[in-house]
Amino acid sequence: MIASVKKTFLSMVRPKWLTGPIFEKELRVSSRRRRNYVLRFFYILLLTIFVGMVWLSVAEYQGDVTYQRSRMAAAGKEIVMTIVFFQFIATQVLAIVMLSTAISDEVYHRTLGLLMTTPITSLQVVMGKVLSKLLQLGLLLAITLPMLAVVRIFGGIPWGYLLSSFCVTLTAVLFAGSVSLLISINNRRAYAVIIRTGFVLLSFYLIIPLILAALMGYLVPLFGPILNVRGFFSPWRWALLAHLNPFYGIMANTERMMSPGTRGMPFIWPVHCLVMLGLSALVLTWSAKIVRRVALRQVTGQLDPSAGGLKVGRKRCRDSAPVAEGRVKRVIGPAVVWKELRAPLIQGVDHRNSYIGLAATLGMLLLTYITGYLDRSLREEFWHVSYGLLFVFIGIIVATVFSATRITTEKEAQTWSLLLATPLEDRDILLGKAVSAFRRCLPIWGLLAGHVILFVLVGYIHPIAIFHLAILVTWLTCFVTGTGLYFSARFARTTSAVLASFGVMLSLWAVGPVLAGLLDLMGGSIRGGLLTKYMLIHPAIQTQLILAGAGGAANGRAALAELQYGERSVLGFSLEEFGLSDMTFILTVTALAYVGTGILFFFGAKRRLRRNIV
Amino acid sequence: MIEIKKLTKNFGSLIAVDHLDLFIGAGDIFGFIGPNGAGKTTTMRILVTLMEPTSGIAFIDGLDVTRKGKEVRRRVGYMPDFMGVYDDLKVFEYLEFFAAAFGIEYRKRKAIVDGVLELTDLVSKRNAQVDSLSRGMQQRLGLARVLIHDPKVLILDEPASGLDPRARIEIRELLRELKKMGKTIMISSHILSELEEICDRIGIIEHGQLVFGGTMDEIRPRLGIQGKVRVKVLGDSARATELLTALPQIHQVETVGDYLSVTFREGEQADGVIARTLVNGGVDLVYLQPEQLKLDDAFLKLTKGIVH
Ligand SMILES: Nc1ncnc2c1ncn2[C@@H]1O[C@H](COP(=O)(O)OP(=O)(O)O)[C@@H](O)[C@H]1O
Ligand SMILES: [Mg+2]
Repeated sequence: MIASVKKTFLSMVRPKWLTGPIFEKELRVSSRRRRNYVLRFFYILLLTIFVGMVWLSVAEYQGDVTYQRSRMAAAGKEIVMTIVFFQFIATQVLAIVMLSTAISDEVYHRTLGLLMTTPITSLQVVMGKVLSKLLQLGLLLAITLPMLAVVRIFGGIPWGYLLSSFCVTLTAVLFAGSVSLLISINNRRAYAVIIRTGFVLLSFYLIIPLILAALMGYLVPLFGPILNVRGFFSPWRWALLAHLNPFYGIMANTERMMSPGTRGMPFIWPVHCLVMLGLSALVLTWSAKIVRRVALRQVTGQLDPSAGGLKVGRKRCRDSAPVAEGRVKRVIGPAVVWKELRAPLIQGVDHRNSYIGLAATLGMLLLTYITGYLDRSLREEFWHVSYGLLFVFIGIIVATVFSATRITTEKEAQTWSLLLATPLEDRDILLGKAVSAFRRCLPIWGLLAGHVILFVLVGYIHPIAIFHLAILVTWLTCFVTGTGLYFSARFARTTSAVLASFGVMLSLWAVGPVLAGLLDLMGGSIRGGLLTKYMLIHPAIQTQLILAGAGGAANGRAALAELQYGERSVLGFSLEEFGLSDMTFILTVTALAYVGTGILFFFGAKRRLRRNIV
Repeated sequence: MIEIKKLTKNFGSLIAVDHLDLFIGAGDIFGFIGPNGAGKTTTMRILVTLMEPTSGIAFIDGLDVTRKGKEVRRRVGYMPDFMGVYDDLKVFEYLEFFAAAFGIEYRKRKAIVDGVLELTDLVSKRNAQVDSLSRGMQQRLGLARVLIHDPKVLILDEPASGLDPRARIEIRELLRELKKMGKTIMISSHILSELEEICDRIGIIEHGQLVFGGTMDEIRPRLGIQGKVRVKVLGDSARATELLTALPQIHQVETVGDYLSVTFREGEQADGVIARTLVNGGVDLVYLQPEQLKLDDAFLKLTKGIVH
């Protein structure tokens, strides 16, 4: 009786049609990795230290009890908010990276063909992959719940907030992971999957709402009466659109928690979660539909699946054609560099799709410029800071992903030992890889350069910004490439390498500032100093400083000596003003430090190159 | 040409290669044989500088593989057991890429690549996408790649595994060709009979230790299959049986299926005598060959440690 109840219960919780043996296998494999436990342990440890430090700094204060209580409540809210936001971002990144190799892993291990000969359904393959990762991430979120519950003692944090942010995060993770899996079906290369998923999500969450907002602002007054579209953008519909966006959701949620009582942004989290679940279900069904077809094609060696019959046809006639000159590209220059540079700059499944994507991106970008022109915000430094931040942010992500996958993809494709058995110097191999990683970032840096140079010519940015940004991009490139290559040489698997590199960036540029801020809160003598110093070497702050100081119509035509940095702040962080020479000095020192570290990592990679060859 | 002394490689507590001693002379084809997991791949990886040994030394062409890695890599062509191909390259580009990696000048590359394509009979696939080739073709492409820098030593890890009989024969022919060119070849397999015909010498490895090393003729007695041949004649086999039984060197003649299984007396080797006797006696000889299957059976016994 009990056994049968248990069985029924289990089959309800884990329906076989959904998960099946793949799910079990994935869980078993991941439970065998000791690293997972170690990582979870450190994660909890980090959070504990974080909470403990805030606690200490608040509890130290002796005096008025009500004041003390309100201080504690404020600190509690800060802590919870930081953790919630951090987890919201981190788990999505994890999901994307973990699922980016979901299908290609099976291809490289030659197990996908085997799977396809078993009665496992495509839905089981897809769901097994997604749910097992979701379970691990859910676990990661769940183990922080007790911690957050403790923080509740500080007061002021409703249970509802914890629950709703947990659910919003989980559904966002599910959606991000599903998109990553869908894209990974057509791509064997993890970096392409990660970048594309990031791009799709970015457009879905950010660019499309921005464009809609822009359209609302400009097109509705113009065409609204004619096309009668004004009704479409009623606040109601707008709210519904907002429910498609977990970023909006988590912010609206937090706003309500931080200042209860105010009406704020309209947001009903269960609705949002249901919407996200529905979207994920759509993506997953689609994945299940195509996975088998694509998998069989990959297994039988007809790669480049989405190119479809066209490419296969072309291949065939190429094969039967008589040997002709000029059809192959000759190897020129150092071998590894040639090989790396050979891939198309803008990579796509085929050229047509990638050009359409490129054109769409550029078009959308152009649209934002047009709106900026129309409402004259091009003259404001705020505008240029936003673009600078956008490009630098994407640049860092792209550079990280490309450099961290350079070597592991060769390991996974079993070509690494071939390369190592040649007399190529380790240094040359690594340099080739570094050059190629940099080249892949060129489109992004090109956009940044294009923006700055254009507005320098227009007179809305001071030319000195070109010089400053060049320093910034140089050190970013050296540092990120060095780190990425190091982890790529060190780890056997793409996902480990990418996650480790992201981990470094995240600790340096997200966890670091928080810790510095906490130390400031605690310490008496260095009060306020540490965070400020730390933030000065932060790439986002540097971008902001450079473009806020030299951007805008007023600064664009100013004399060098008139430029002032640091008085305006976009990221909610203010500084005392300082001049051009100080700015240049800060940039140079940062560059030296980070370039040095990057080179150290590069040598670390060189030392590691011949270990772990698989 | 290749010399291995007390080579040992541990993976944690597992001893993959255990004080292995080997010598392979210049121009030899050496068959490196052992069951799966015996340590063949590990030994080869150490030889081609992809792994460091735990202890012991190995020399190729007089160069210490742990110290003179780059020099060794120049002299050796290595074909791994599992080999990936770059999936976005054509055959010619793939080979030229490795030619460049081996430091061959731009001007000479085209001729060299076309040369190895000719040798491996891949000229018709020159412009084909690498990943569209069949397994046998990819294996031949692997051999072409190994030859690109004209190495003195070839180290081939199970080049014939997973190939159909025809592709195996093609590979075998190719190896003969290479031997004529004076290359020293070390080739591994887990099937003894596969290498029997082409190898000058073989070494049998198990649990990282060399169980046997020597020529094929030396190993036959050790395997207990010495002096057994199959004889097939045209027409009446009774006459042949009669003739052969009369020979002093022969112990026994049995009819098995459509051929005769002839056993020699201890210590005798009389293939020539059999042929001469039959032909002189007016019997048409179709073929005369050593017992193939027995070879693998005996090898199984040997690697299980029954025969010493
Ligand atoms: N990188 C490695 N890490 C741990 N064990 C290994 C590694 N490579 C090989 N082994 C082990 O060493 C033994 C010998 O393997 P290998 O040399 O590949 O054998 P063979 O090529 O003869 O089949 C096997 O038991 C194998 O499991
Ligand atoms: Mg092997």
